[in-house]
Amino acid sequence: MLSFRSLIFFHALVACVLGSSDYAERLLLRPLPQSALLASFNFRSNESFTSFEQQNFRYFPRSLAQILQHAGTKELHLRFSLGRWDAESWGERPHNGAREGGTGVELWAWLDAENEQEAFSRWLTLTNTLSGLFCASLNFIDATKTIRPVMSFQPEGDHPNLSQLHLLHGTLPHEVVCTENLTPFLKLLPCKGKAGISSLLDGHKLFDASWQTMSIDVRPVCEASGECILEMEQTVDMVLDIDRSKRPRDNPIPRPLPIEEIECDTSKGYNAADTCYPLHGSAEPDFSLSQLFGRPIKGACPLTDSDGENANTVCINTPPERTVHANTTGPYVESRLVADTLRCYKLPTGADFDLSLPSQQMTTGLMLQPPSLFAARHINGHGQERGSIQTTIRNPTSSAVDFIYLESLPWFMKPYIHTLRARVSNSLENPITETFYKPAVDRHRGTHLELRMLIPASSTLTLTYDFEKAILRYTEYPPDANRGFDAAPAVIRLVSPGSADRKGVYIRTTSLLLPLPTPDFSMPYNVIILTSTVMALGFGNIFNLLVRRIVGADEVPGAGTGGIRGVIKGKVERLRALLGGVKKNT
Amino acid sequence: MASDQQKALLFGAAAAVRLILFTAFPSLPNLLAGRVEVSTPVTSFKRLQEGLFLYTHNVSPYDGGVYHQAPLLLPLFSLLPDPSYYPFATNLLYTALDLLAAQALVQIAESSQAVTPRLFKSSRKDLRWSSLAIAAGFLFNPLTVATCIARSTSAFTNLFILTAMAKASQGASITFVFALSLASYLAMHPILLFPPLLLLCYDVRVVKSKSTVDPLAFSVSHVLGLVVAAGGLLYMSALLTGSWEYLAATYGVRLLLPDLTPNVGLWWYYFTEMFDSFREFFLGVFWLHVASYMPGLTIRLRKQPLFVAVTLTGIFAVFTPYPSIADASLYLSLVTLFRHLFPLMRYSFLASATILYASFLGPAFYYLWIYAGSGNANFFYAITLVWSLGLSVVVGDSLYAALRDELDVERPELRGKEVTRI
Repeated sequence: MLSFRSLIFFHALVACVLGSSDYAERLLLRPLPQSALLASFNFRSNESFTSFEQQNFRYFPRSLAQILQHAGTKELHLRFSLGRWDAESWGERPHNGAREGGTGVELWAWLDAENEQEAFSRWLTLTNTLSGLFCASLNFIDATKTIRPVMSFQPEGDHPNLSQLHLLHGTLPHEVVCTENLTPFLKLLPCKGKAGISSLLDGHKLFDASWQTMSIDVRPVCEASGECILEMEQTVDMVLDIDRSKRPRDNPIPRPLPIEEIECDTSKGYNAADTCYPLHGSAEPDFSLSQLFGRPIKGACPLTDSDGENANTVCINTPPERTVHANTTGPYVESRLVADTLRCYKLPTGADFDLSLPSQQMTTGLMLQPPSLFAARHINGHGQERGSIQTTIRNPTSSAVDFIYLESLPWFMKPYIHTLRARVSNSLENPITETFYKPAVDRHRGTHLELRMLIPASSTLTLTYDFEKAILRYTEYPPDANRGFDAAPAVIRLVSPGSADRKGVYIRTTSLLLPLPTPDFSMPYNVIILTSTVMALGFGNIFNLLVRRIVGADEVPGAGTGGIRGVIKGKVERLRALLGGVKKNT
Repeated sequence: MASDQQKALLFGAAAAVRLILFTAFPSLPNLLAGRVEVSTPVTSFKRLQEGLFLYTHNVSPYDGGVYHQAPLLLPLFSLLPDPSYYPFATNLLYTALDLLAAQALVQIAESSQAVTPRLFKSSRKDLRWSSLAIAAGFLFNPLTVATCIARSTSAFTNLFILTAMAKASQGASITFVFALSLASYLAMHPILLFPPLLLLCYDVRVVKSKSTVDPLAFSVSHVLGLVVAAGGLLYMSALLTGSWEYLAATYGVRLLLPDLTPNVGLWWYYFTEMFDSFREFFLGVFWLHVASYMPGLTIRLRKQPLFVAVTLTGIFAVFTPYPSIADASLYLSLVTLFRHLFPLMRYSFLASATILYASFLGPAFYYLWIYAGSGNANFFYAITLVWSLGLSVVVGDSLYAALRDELDVERPELRGKEVTRI
């Protein structure tokens, strides 16, 4: 019960942080079950509309702002993600899933344009420039990977001319997010990873996490008075495996502990002294920031507020009885909030800051809030010809959930929408209330499917449909063709119960690996030659008959008998004559 | 009459076989509909169902990459109950299609145009199978049965091609032109059958009518009729779908081959492996190649127009972009009309062995490539080469036999002697 309250309070806290000052950053740590730790980094910078239009940037990065101006982008959401959020053991997603993306890269933006063509050309400008800025293959988001969602995304900002804006959405599920994307991400921050919480962000640790997502969100926020600011929010959410992160970098191979140091389950019988069923989970593991991230925080970022709510830049969400030591040489302030479940620290400037938590036997724990929906998506069937998609959505809550399900499939995966079936475990009613479907066109457009569905309380919804796999031209396969192709995750937006703020509640499934039939890449010449031979045989045979005249074999001198027999007979005779000639000469 | 009873028995047995297969093995139609040898992207029943679903839900079926079949099939099938729940009406329709096609085949056989056209009397004209035997060869051909059970829309094309041939060999101009324009509307390439069938129709009319028939007026009126009928069908389709975009999705797909799903033909693997810069050039060459047989055969075999049309269906079964076993079944059934040529064929054992070899190994090699993973695409490709080679040997050999048969009439002294070509 305690924890439930604390989470609600925390969201309120974040909301109030976002409203007040021009630059704010915050790191929230929350230990999760199975020795995992959620680290949520959040950075927010504001710029007023007037200074944005005059190209007068203070906290807002100039490089990104100029791209937005050039491409007519009014609201931008960019995500780089890796791994899978384990909702069964980790509970609800950070930010209700509103700051995470599907595996790989996901981008959606509201562009200001007169018509669809102009919007698409601006979208290409945007993806190409962002590709350069973030060292990601965003330029591969072409027409086949772009959709125009109709229900799944709502603008978060205040737009006076929403009817002129075009929403475009693109995904790159195959993109491997790595250090080269983190470096430009950090460059956008005012303290550029040199001070403040961003000094913890290190590619080695971030991309070694069980799950991580980096996001950039730009939106206009208008006060009631009509004064508008452009707000950029950068977040990094990651779930670290504490044991894995603590391993030293020069010796990363896990080794078993000596048996004397393992606590064994004494309730079981053993047949030898060297066997042991280890006891798990009795004590919370010890960790410190410098162990987990490889380095301590290099003091506060001087641009953050020195007092007030925003000065508390590092927070840890633990039960009140957990011991937390702050190790630093400079002055710091600890404050306890939300019934002591949230401890926040104001960082010293210019001095290293580290938090360490010793291993501790806990008597109380924080309860995790369960998510509103669980979603999983699979490919059924075998072989490289066809298959079917099965999505299982479970509603554990005691109220019906209304949600929108979005799929964006590559064109070479051809769904048969007449086979789409949605079944709810304990009711015969069709859960689909609205459908939007735009079929794929070969090499020009991907499939876009949006379903609005209603899932009753504590029931399971199963959605299936068949699809066929296309065979591509051999130049269209990537170098690792037999690995398969990635299909983007499905995006689920909860309509009711939704969220209090405008961010919305989102759930994403994992991406899918789709093996396609492959031709033999080594033999284009052989195929051209063999097929042409068969065609030439047919053509030659028929036209040979058509254009030549048939006469009796004895009427043509020297032709001998017809057919293969005649040819062979002629050859034999020639050979015999040749041999005879040779004999005569010798 | 005994022959009527036999015919009723034959047709009843053929219908019974189909309906029993439909009802006794309810999963068989979908299994066959998924086989690449039976269903191509332009004839598949599953794709038809998808197009129908989109059509009934007010999404244009042609604004997508799945449905490439003619628009007029949509209202026809939307009248039938949904085949995934009530398949009986659809099964009955496809059974009826096959029976009608067999009836057309009977009419062709009874017209004797295969052995004794106007300008030519074969010296072996007594060597022929009865029309019922020919119809039985069509109805009980496993390839025809498989096509029917798979509910491939090439059954419609085959029916209209056979009807056009039957009506042309009876001299019924209007139905001939209308059936051929329907076949061309559904599959595009049957338009190439028009010149030989026009000659056939003309020959029959000359024989039948007491007065002389002006060849120019005859051909102009028929060409106009074809243009009007085909134009009317295309215009109706445009009215039905609300735009002309179906042209690109149906005929454009046949011309440009964007969908490279494997089939028994020669095109798919060739254009999978083709270098990008040469794709358009070879598409042009391949289409020109298909079209090039029509004038040559029509001119050389002016005396036997039905034989030209039958040979062209054989060429379609090998050299068109999306052939299936339905095309082969049509050709193999039509070849039986020319029983008198069989003694003159030289490679009949080779050709039949090749076709049998390919039809047994084809599914096995496809399985090895797609499901077992122990073979690659070349396995299935090699089998399609063998299949095409076997069919083209039958085509070439029957052509040789037809020419030899003509020679026997022109120069009876050469009968049974060795001949050669100069």
